[in-house]
Amino acid sequence: MSSHVFCDGIRRRDFLAYGAAGAGLSLPAFLEKTVIGEVNPAARGKSAIFVQLAGGPSHIDTFDLKPDAPDANRGEFKPIKTNVGGVEICEHLPKLAQCADKYAILRGVSHTLAAHDLGTKYLNTGNRPLPSLEFPGYGAVIMKELSGDPDLPHFVAVPNTPQSGGYLGPAYGALRTGKTPKVGERFSIRGLDLEKGITLEDIRKQQDLLKRFDAAFSDFDKRDPLVSGLDEFNERAYAMLTSDKARQAFDLSRESPSINLMFGDDGFSASCLLATRLVEAGVRFVTVSLGGWDTHADNFTQLKTKLLPPLDAGLAGLFNALSTKGLLDSTSVFVTGEFGRTPKINQRSAEGGRDHYPRAMFCLLAGGGMNGGQVIGESDATAAGPRSEAIAPDDVAASFYKSVGIDVTKEYHTPSGRPVMIVRHGKPLTRLWS
Amino acid sequence: MIFRFTLGLAVALALLEPAAFAADPGAPIRERFADSQTQPSFQKHVLPLMSKLGCSGRACHGSFQGQGGFRLSLFGYDFKQDHEALVVGDAPRVNLESPAESLVLLKPTMQEDHGGEKVIDEASWQYNILAGWIRSGAIDDSAVNSEIGRLEIQPAELIFGRAGESAPLRVLAHWRDGAIEDVTDITRFRTNDDSVAKVDELTGVVTAEGRGDTHIVAFYDNGVAAVAAMLPASDKVGPNYPTIAASTKVDELIAAKLRKIGVVPSGLCSDEEFLRRASLDICGALPMPEEIRQFRANASPDKRAEKIDELLLRPDYAAWWTTVICDITGNNADQLEIAGKYLEPESASNWYDWIYRRVSENTPYDKMMEGLVLAVGRRPSQSYADYCAEMTSYVRAADPADFSQRDTMPLFWGRRNMQKPQEKALMFSYTFLGVRLQCAECHKHPFDQWTQEDFNSFQAFFTGVVYRRQDRRDPEVAAMMRAVGVDPDAGKGNGNNPGRQLAQAAREGKTTPFPELVASSGPQKGKNGPKQIKKPNAGARVITPKVLGGEEVMLANYSDPRQPLMDWMRSPENPYFARAWVNRVWSRYFGVGIIDPPDDLNLANPPSNAELMDYLTTGFVHSGYDMKWLHRTIAASDAYQRSRTTNETNALDRRNFSHALLRRLPAEVALDAITMATAGGAERDRLHGDVRSRYIGLKATQGGSGRGQREYSLGVFGRPDRVTTCDCERSDDPTLLQSLFLFNDGEMHKLINAGGWIADLQRVERYPDIEEQISRTRARLKQQEQHQEEKRAAATRTELAKLQAASLANISDRGALVEELYLRTVSRMPGGDERAAALELLHGADSVSSGMRQLLWVMLNTKEFILNH
Repeated sequence: MSSHVFCDGIRRRDFLAYGAAGAGLSLPAFLEKTVIGEVNPAARGKSAIFVQLAGGPSHIDTFDLKPDAPDANRGEFKPIKTNVGGVEICEHLPKLAQCADKYAILRGVSHTLAAHDLGTKYLNTGNRPLPSLEFPGYGAVIMKELSGDPDLPHFVAVPNTPQSGGYLGPAYGALRTGKTPKVGERFSIRGLDLEKGITLEDIRKQQDLLKRFDAAFSDFDKRDPLVSGLDEFNERAYAMLTSDKARQAFDLSRESPSINLMFGDDGFSASCLLATRLVEAGVRFVTVSLGGWDTHADNFTQLKTKLLPPLDAGLAGLFNALSTKGLLDSTSVFVTGEFGRTPKINQRSAEGGRDHYPRAMFCLLAGGGMNGGQVIGESDATAAGPRSEAIAPDDVAASFYKSVGIDVTKEYHTPSGRPVMIVRHGKPLTRLWS
Repeated sequence: MIFRFTLGLAVALALLEPAAFAADPGAPIRERFADSQTQPSFQKHVLPLMSKLGCSGRACHGSFQGQGGFRLSLFGYDFKQDHEALVVGDAPRVNLESPAESLVLLKPTMQEDHGGEKVIDEASWQYNILAGWIRSGAIDDSAVNSEIGRLEIQPAELIFGRAGESAPLRVLAHWRDGAIEDVTDITRFRTNDDSVAKVDELTGVVTAEGRGDTHIVAFYDNGVAAVAAMLPASDKVGPNYPTIAASTKVDELIAAKLRKIGVVPSGLCSDEEFLRRASLDICGALPMPEEIRQFRANASPDKRAEKIDELLLRPDYAAWWTTVICDITGNNADQLEIAGKYLEPESASNWYDWIYRRVSENTPYDKMMEGLVLAVGRRPSQSYADYCAEMTSYVRAADPADFSQRDTMPLFWGRRNMQKPQEKALMFSYTFLGVRLQCAECHKHPFDQWTQEDFNSFQAFFTGVVYRRQDRRDPEVAAMMRAVGVDPDAGKGNGNNPGRQLAQAAREGKTTPFPELVASSGPQKGKNGPKQIKKPNAGARVITPKVLGGEEVMLANYSDPRQPLMDWMRSPENPYFARAWVNRVWSRYFGVGIIDPPDDLNLANPPSNAELMDYLTTGFVHSGYDMKWLHRTIAASDAYQRSRTTNETNALDRRNFSHALLRRLPAEVALDAITMATAGGAERDRLHGDVRSRYIGLKATQGGSGRGQREYSLGVFGRPDRVTTCDCERSDDPTLLQSLFLFNDGEMHKLINAGGWIADLQRVERYPDIEEQISRTRARLKQQEQHQEEKRAAATRTELAKLQAASLANISDRGALVEELYLRTVSRMPGGDERAAALELLHGADSVSSGMRQLLWVMLNTKEFILNH
């Protein structure tokens, strides 16, 4: 299980939805779930993958290098050419350089929240966090807007995600695998495999009985998010158990060797491979995560030895495998951390580190009909801020949603009846489609 | 536009406020600075204005890298830095020779290019404040100014009549020297819920948006104040409000609030609901079937109060609340290597036992916490050798000494994530004060009064508190190591692991060197001793310790630097220590704190019912920190015993305790409940009597050694790792994995099928003549014992015990079986329809046991089982 303690001492292993915190406690909105109707049928994205780089990856050392910046900022990494003319990225990302035509690099993405939890919430919801309202993560909104295969979980987190159902309620939370798979091996989700001697028929009988006996809570109580959440998860668990689809999708030993070869042998690569299989099977939304980017000290050694190699192998594998399987066009991919890191190198450790820096960061967007092979936005000479117009996380979120056909100006209602737009302040970045 | 504004009582209350008469707050800022005659103060006017204008926000000059070459301290309050940023440097923002040419005037008025656009007009009162300060010499007066005593908002509360109504706020700063000033115009405002009320950030005018209650918070200097803003949920207010009997003071105070907001509480829950709820909340366990039957039959009018008293006497109460206290104090075996490497499971158990003894004996809360706060390794005059012998005695495998008898519990300070002074400060304030100081470690807390200096002054208490590892170069330590056959000069590697060898020796009861917690007021020596804390950018100044929001302390007067902290926490006016515990306990009973989140006591997060919070806190202190008084007072209230069924006025209420909120069972409680509901009669009785072997006992605490399936289920149900400073680490939300676990996990199947209640029933079916079978087996055992066939006899004994247990299960009375099933799981008798449906299923089943197995699975998967309601 990927587990990293950030500089503020909070361990982000769980990213659990503490839905009960804050006034904006969830509602059983799925009871009034609309059919897919409101989704724009013209959108090509049918599924989405969100890659969380927890801790805040350095932008200036990865996708926004400044070879001409002063020594105090530049860092030791050199840029290399990619397969897209004029686009350069870090030398420690050679595989990603060879598939740069498949993704768009967003530079000069900018916000002001330099704490891990706030920045993470912002980038995982597309809404600046408010004290009174817990916004739903992308996975929750996509689960709500795009009805999925009933035999599959709609929202899977490998292994964990900070995205919660927010004010939509715990029913829109992820199935968290809690552990990381291995390439080529069966990945079992506990509770998903049938016990010896138990048949699907037994399971069906049990569920019928449960329906009859679990009636003690009147309809009135169903307005409680806990009741509706439990109902929803029970239905989901039953559907998954009675179908082979989920079990097969999670089984990485069924993947063809040629696809396996596209990935590294690290856990992040395997997570990315699992994400492609899940999307292929029909899961709507998958998050994968690679942590450890909180490089306050020894920034460069950590990046080149521990962080960039798996990022390179996993992400390049993800893009290439999706493309080979013919899924890239219908699958939107969003890669981001919670913020960038200070362009100025701090001197607190022998080789220096970089601190939290929300004013400039990078994101990657790919697939789902969005045009890859381009750089959108630009940071200034030292990557200290956007050169001209900043890209807000809200804009990236609006683009991501647009690619799967979701209109972000749609209003939801919180449990207290407050109308809230899916993304309150974002505009899609038109260059992704032109 | 005319606003109808029904303040009535609130206005009258505000006028009665004595401070309003004490001194003249003067005219509003905008009037006083309408011309350029009045002289502004740097601290009182200039910086608050810049903060209000957003200059020192993170997006602008408060950014750690500054903006446009100009950097202010984030959220203000670093006077020295901000003053320097304004008046010195290559491009000072202030021009003393020709004040009007100052950048700080030219830029915000856009006479010169400003990235932040135009924020003030020339010749405005804002301009006059900045210009007047520069003209008078641009002096930093913060050192000579009095500190702010408190911030007051008028009126004292806002009760609106309908959405759309507005009311202005007035904010008065009370300085400690007695001066009072109307600072409304340079105060920042925030609403805690803008679906209930909005506030105009410039003027402080509040507008009602929707039904409910929230707070508007005002920020000025480092003062923070909040005012309640309410729009009643129904027209049942004032004379229209129904008469609600309030049987306790708690209920009176809750009713007073409900009356204001037009919320009518639900009625009381049934006896069965009460028993289940109270057992879960007080004891962390479901009631036993026999107990439910007795409680139903009990005709005493006081039976609920009597039951509360009875529950509080049980070991289950001590075990469950020990678990809660282990959460907030951070008992996690994986963190305890410093206190004894490879002995972490023993340390975690000792920690649990130490707390357990005190909860069980109802040691006053302050006394128990003092044992953590002032913990030390050695007793006075105890030699290091004696100390090591003592510590070894607690971890030896054979007949260990009772750690819980120790006066103090040093392990709290021994966690790996609590070694730096700032970590100690954060953990200390989280655990004992319910205060989150994280923000102030680097800058002024954006919502609370804490400044970075407050943080530094607070952490200065902990520089002399060190958990010292044993030093192998110390001759005494080295000798002790040699005495147990461990070479002190040998390193780790080549199959050699001195730490493991020492732990092994200690388990065998041989005295080994132990780390020890020391606390002294002087600076510590040694490699791992702390250095003087330096404030960033402040040279080598040593910070004087200061209690939060209180006075500076001369540590030289104390041998233990934590003593003044403990004294402060115990003082009757301490706003945090008792309150934090009272609020945490309350939140466990209601699913929501009076202050919520329960571990976030800050001025911008006021209690939903301040009178209730004060009453319980004061009562708790006056009771002598009697934890049982607190439990009893809460559990005996009508509020706690209300039904979950709501009416049209309180359906949406989640913060005023007008009805019961559903809560998922906490991880340990849920797994104990599943285990007990599935256990056979004998095993169930054993678990009932032996709380230590349950999840709320030591089963979930030892960790470390026992990773595996048990850990999986605890994790699935959200048991906290106890590594962060947040109560939210425990998650009681439902998840898909939980549903899968209950529905189909191997562990569930095993509990239901193997060796439990269902197996008992099968045995009876297999041996219809079970009594005869028992006597035959008994005879066989006797023979085996006579022939000294010990192995066979042991097997026979086991078989006999199983048969005897099974014989108690009466399989012929199916109605009784169904009743037992309901009592075991949802703690109530089955309803008529439920009974009929269950009997029908049993009738059609292959056998009674297989039918019961299905039914048991079904009941464990109901919402009614997994929820506390």
